[in-house]
Amino acid sequence: MSLVATDIEMQFGPRRLFGIPQLILNRGERVWLQGANGAGKTTLLKILAGLQRPSGGRVHLHQDNAATNRWWRNRDPLRGRVIYLHQTPYLFNGSVEENLAYGLKHLALTVEERQSRVEQAVAMARLTPLRHQSAQVLSGGERQRLALARAWVMRPHHLLLDEPTASLDPDSIAAMAAMLDALQSQGCGLLLTSHQHTDLTLSSQQQWLLSEQRLTALPKEQRA
Amino acid sequence: MNDGMLSVFQQGLSLLFSFDPDVWAIIAVSFSVSMRAMALTLVPCILMGFGLAVTRFPGRHAVISLCQTLQAIPTVVVGLITYLLLFRQGVLGDLRWLFSQNAMVMAQVMLAAPVLISLSYGAFSSGDWRAWETARTLGASRARAFLTLCHELRAPLLVAIIAAFSRIITEVGASMLVGGNIHNLTRNIPTAIALETSKGEFAQAAALGIVLLILALMINFSLSSLRTQQESLRRG
Repeated sequence: MSLVATDIEMQFGPRRLFGIPQLILNRGERVWLQGANGAGKTTLLKILAGLQRPSGGRVHLHQDNAATNRWWRNRDPLRGRVIYLHQTPYLFNGSVEENLAYGLKHLALTVEERQSRVEQAVAMARLTPLRHQSAQVLSGGERQRLALARAWVMRPHHLLLDEPTASLDPDSIAAMAAMLDALQSQGCGLLLTSHQHTDLTLSSQQQWLLSEQRLTALPKEQRA
Repeated sequence: MNDGMLSVFQQGLSLLFSFDPDVWAIIAVSFSVSMRAMALTLVPCILMGFGLAVTRFPGRHAVISLCQTLQAIPTVVVGLITYLLLFRQGVLGDLRWLFSQNAMVMAQVMLAAPVLISLSYGAFSSGDWRAWETARTLGASRARAFLTLCHELRAPLLVAIIAAFSRIITEVGASMLVGGNIHNLTRNIPTAIALETSKGEFAQAAALGIVLLILALMINFSLSSLRTQQESLRRG
């Protein structure tokens, strides 16, 4: 299942931020999105996640098997399948575990399956000793890991990460890289923005550049 | 406090704690009317505050300014408007609500609504929008994301609810005009205090004043507990 955006355009008053004829993010693929500050990276990610309405065009999930394509039955097909992670993640009032379990309430899972996913996520995010603590007291790196783990438990089809490594220490970056590798191996498509080349961007199959209102895929020789 | 005043408050306390039927009937009318008014306004007004914070439409600023202005409208003016709507030749005269609890509820709805809408609009528009986006991206429906947002903003929303409730439980002008201060029917705490004081019967007025004071103390105490709890959560 690919995430497909067709003819999307974003305009703020008279200012045109970008226009993209077509964008395809395949499952299991990792893409590094680059662009200067103000180029519209965050807006693009939010549009792709269905959190912001573009001025024009549409975003949808394209299934390989048309027979099982029932997106039209769902009024909100991107919700819970394409997950956006803020640069500074928002954590709900409550414990680490409650934050992890938030999205699972919206999936048809057994209690055992929910519990097992939370257990795995807590261990993977290296938050086991803090699992009953309030999420509000976590450090920057712990918050970022918890936010990623909270997305990870949902088994999303696509994960869109906005500057996930900004101001993180090497340990936290390594933990996040391990979680992203696991997600990618499960077939999750990853689109991440970053100004620096880090462990997270290292294994990207594609690099896109959002500049001068256009999105271009960088050829191999121009890649960082 | 001189002896006279002390004695009035002692008599007031004794009336209150001896469960004087007249005093408690007045308290019951007050709470019944104000709670019904709150029950009617709460959900629609918070939704309107949310709607004003998230939507953009022509005249939005005018609606916000109107609600903010109406927060300070004198209660007696609201009473007059309600009276004009409900009196026999009024638009709603056929309802025959004048001098009934329904009329008081109607006036109090008109008083509480602008406070609730303005303050909940303030809470939603200054709240952290990432809470809504995070809830939505994690699969929450719009309704559930709204409930999550309300939970995250519970402190400012509670302030809005308490401000609205305080405005209506203590108002005297509208209740007096449209309720008529009828014994055991529409006499509430503020109208009873005004009446008893004018008659020189200070003991009952003091008893009812004590109820309002206790209510104010309880509200302040619960608000400050909530603030302390949230502060300690933030600090760990």
